[in-house]
Amino acid sequence: MHGRVKVRTSEEEKARKEKERNEKLKIFKHAMQKIQIKRKECTLDKELLELTGNVLSSNPDIYTLWNIRRDILQLFKKSNDNIEEMSQVYNAELHLTEYCLKINPKSYCAWHQREWVLLTRDDPDWQKELELCNTYLKLDERNFHTWDYRRFVVSQCKPSLKDEFDYTTEKLMDNFSNYSAWHYRSKMLVELYPDRKGGRPIEDSHHKHELKMVQNAAFTDPDDTSAWFYQRWLLGAVKTTIDLVNYTVTPTKNTFAFSKHVDKNYVSAKTKLLINNCVVNGEWVSCTGNCYDVLWIFQHSTPITKKINIKVEYEIDNGQKQIIQGVECKEMFYIGKNQIKFERNYSEAVIEELKDQLESCRQLLNLEPDSKWTMLTTTIFLHCIDAKAYHTEAIQNLQKLKVIDKLRAGYYDDLIAKWCIEKQLCSDYENADLALKFSFPSPVSSLPYLQYYSYCDSVDLSNQQLTSNIFPSLIVLQHCKKLSLENNNLTTMKNFPDLDLVELNLLGNEKLDRNEIELFTKKYNFNIIY
Amino acid sequence: MSFTTKDVVLKEDRPKTLLLQKHSDYLASYGLNKDDYEYCMTEYLRMSGIYWSLTAMELMGQSSRMPKEDIIEFITQCQDSESGGISASIGHDPHILYTLSAVQVLAMYDRLDAVDIEGIVRYIVSLQQEDGSFYGDKWGEIDTRFSFCAVMCLSLLQRLDAIDINKTVEFVLSCMNFDGGFGSKPGSESHAGLIYCCVGTLSICKRMDALHADELAWWLCERQLPSGGLNGRPEKLPDLCYSWWVMSSLSMLNRIHWVDKKSLEEFILACQDNETGGFSDRPGDITDPFHTLFGLAGLSLLGNTSIKPVNPTYCMPQETIDRLKLKPQILQI
Ligand SMILES: [Zn+2]
Repeated sequence: MHGRVKVRTSEEEKARKEKERNEKLKIFKHAMQKIQIKRKECTLDKELLELTGNVLSSNPDIYTLWNIRRDILQLFKKSNDNIEEMSQVYNAELHLTEYCLKINPKSYCAWHQREWVLLTRDDPDWQKELELCNTYLKLDERNFHTWDYRRFVVSQCKPSLKDEFDYTTEKLMDNFSNYSAWHYRSKMLVELYPDRKGGRPIEDSHHKHELKMVQNAAFTDPDDTSAWFYQRWLLGAVKTTIDLVNYTVTPTKNTFAFSKHVDKNYVSAKTKLLINNCVVNGEWVSCTGNCYDVLWIFQHSTPITKKINIKVEYEIDNGQKQIIQGVECKEMFYIGKNQIKFERNYSEAVIEELKDQLESCRQLLNLEPDSKWTMLTTTIFLHCIDAKAYHTEAIQNLQKLKVIDKLRAGYYDDLIAKWCIEKQLCSDYENADLALKFSFPSPVSSLPYLQYYSYCDSVDLSNQQLTSNIFPSLIVLQHCKKLSLENNNLTTMKNFPDLDLVELNLLGNEKLDRNEIELFTKKYNFNIIY
Repeated sequence: MSFTTKDVVLKEDRPKTLLLQKHSDYLASYGLNKDDYEYCMTEYLRMSGIYWSLTAMELMGQSSRMPKEDIIEFITQCQDSESGGISASIGHDPHILYTLSAVQVLAMYDRLDAVDIEGIVRYIVSLQQEDGSFYGDKWGEIDTRFSFCAVMCLSLLQRLDAIDINKTVEFVLSCMNFDGGFGSKPGSESHAGLIYCCVGTLSICKRMDALHADELAWWLCERQLPSGGLNGRPEKLPDLCYSWWVMSSLSMLNRIHWVDKKSLEEFILACQDNETGGFSDRPGDITDPFHTLFGLAGLSLLGNTSIKPVNPTYCMPQETIDRLKLKPQILQI
């Protein structure tokens, strides 16, 4: 079904082929019939082994035939104590799988049979299997079945991890365009060289070494994408934490927003609400009803009144306790904002390396200003090194990428939105404003980090490119009273979340059906402008 | 060493419109001749073949052209009374792949009563391992495809509670890679087909939050090549079935707009055969029911309104999923 080119043939040729196929089919059907009969009769003998073997050698994917063979081999083993004889039987089976894999190197069945034989026999030769992998990977360095088989063999004969790591180095030196080898390398890198002291995924000197190696690879052939993915991963390989980003306490609703999805056990173990220095007991409910959520509602019966002392004790990842003091932003409306940051925590040494590489990237970009991967990498470097200082340049680059790499314009749009929102969040978390308004150079079509704005009572999302797809995400706006979606691309009101709004502005969404809005209006008792 | 991107070039005389009638004719006549060579040689996956054809026909609103009663009768004959599992065809052994295909077909026909449901549940439960993974059958092959088969099958039977969901999720997450993608088992390289299986499992188990959505979706949108087609891994040729594996995953991740829909649609249409009907893996290749389904389903995700809406998690008509009141999770952005 894959890779079979349709060829035009003469009538004569067609007839000849047809005849040939009919012959083949007759033999096939006859063999299959005979196999079925013998199986029904439970005659699990050498003849059946031969019959199934013949069919499999040209049709390795007929899984039932392999099952029959395993039944036979198991029977043989039970009734035969001669180790040498059994060894020969197993060798023949390995031979058959090898033959089948030559016809179809991607046959799941043949690979599995090989694993089964080696796990079943008493005298597996793992070294030989490892060599077989080496040979096969020379023929096709990207066959993921062979790589999987190699990992299976390695899990059995356990060569040193370093040997396998060096094997990927060797494969990559042969050809950098080997995504399979980069992948395998990523698995071993974090096992071999974790940063035990600093808690980062990769130890410093090795992180640097990999960055250098991958840059070398990427610069050798900037159009080969393999190395770029590895590089992007290296840049993201930093320590990350789960943070409580804000909380809002009012007489009617208490919400807690987290930087990542967390479950109830996590929230209830790590978070304590204190009113006038007394711990409040209550029940945690997720905002969406899912087990993991970014916004949690805390239900309790302690009255919230004016001028009380509200604070939250939150246990961060290293076990330390954080106190986040609440502020009464308006009457009986308490907000606690944590310090937030989106910068990645690299070590000094890695930062130096990144700065060096940024320089080289910029030079390369001067020579080839339209090279997508060089432009993208430069941009990612800028963001990683100092997102704030380089914000304007990074966004400009992403705008250029939308043109150079048109197919992925939607991705760049969302990345621009994400980085712009990160920047705005940092300043919004430093003031006491309860209103959210986006006014970026280009409109946004997605709303990352929206839970960070869960405390806002007024949310202005007008003049963006939002579609009705974003409705379920709005559920985190639990304290919002005034919501504007004016001038967006809404098409339906389906899936609009249950919010305690006072006013909803839907003006300027040309594709919204008026009848639908009128029905919607009847359902809710807030003011809908349309 | 100079590097060239692996891709195809679309010819000027390629099909540019959707040839619905031809596809329906192609599938209706597929397998009518029981002595057809191709048909006989694919007996070992017959049950999936039926699922591909029927789903494609359903999406085209042409399922009445399939021999409904014969198919249901065939399925009942393929259920193994001892294990409860269902085989690809009569005389073959039960396997989770074909158990799922059979359940999908019966769900579309609203005839789940035709088989022993308790038997199927028993079979799937028997295949779950201590670490949460699933065997494909009693012979012990492990693959994330089988995890997906298990949860999809049980959810269609409203019996998801029969297995350990937390462990199922845990195993799938243990297959996550540096690029945010997934392979067939822990340590395996990311592959768009297996990403679909893993994301689908998380969608049904409502644990989409556990994905590294931005990294994964970026990797997925980077599958799009200049021809508009999508490949399944970096530096590989485009293939029509990946328009399904990639696009359905992106739909569940709510980031379908990260690929260029127009050029992908052109690629999919170019994979049609205007003589025989049906779709092939690449323009100019021989067509088959497998690629015909994924061509149509891909177009449906892209918003083509002459095809019925398809559910990205189940690869079945949305109307079937709605009738069964299933709500697979879509990640919120
Ligand atoms: Zn394909």
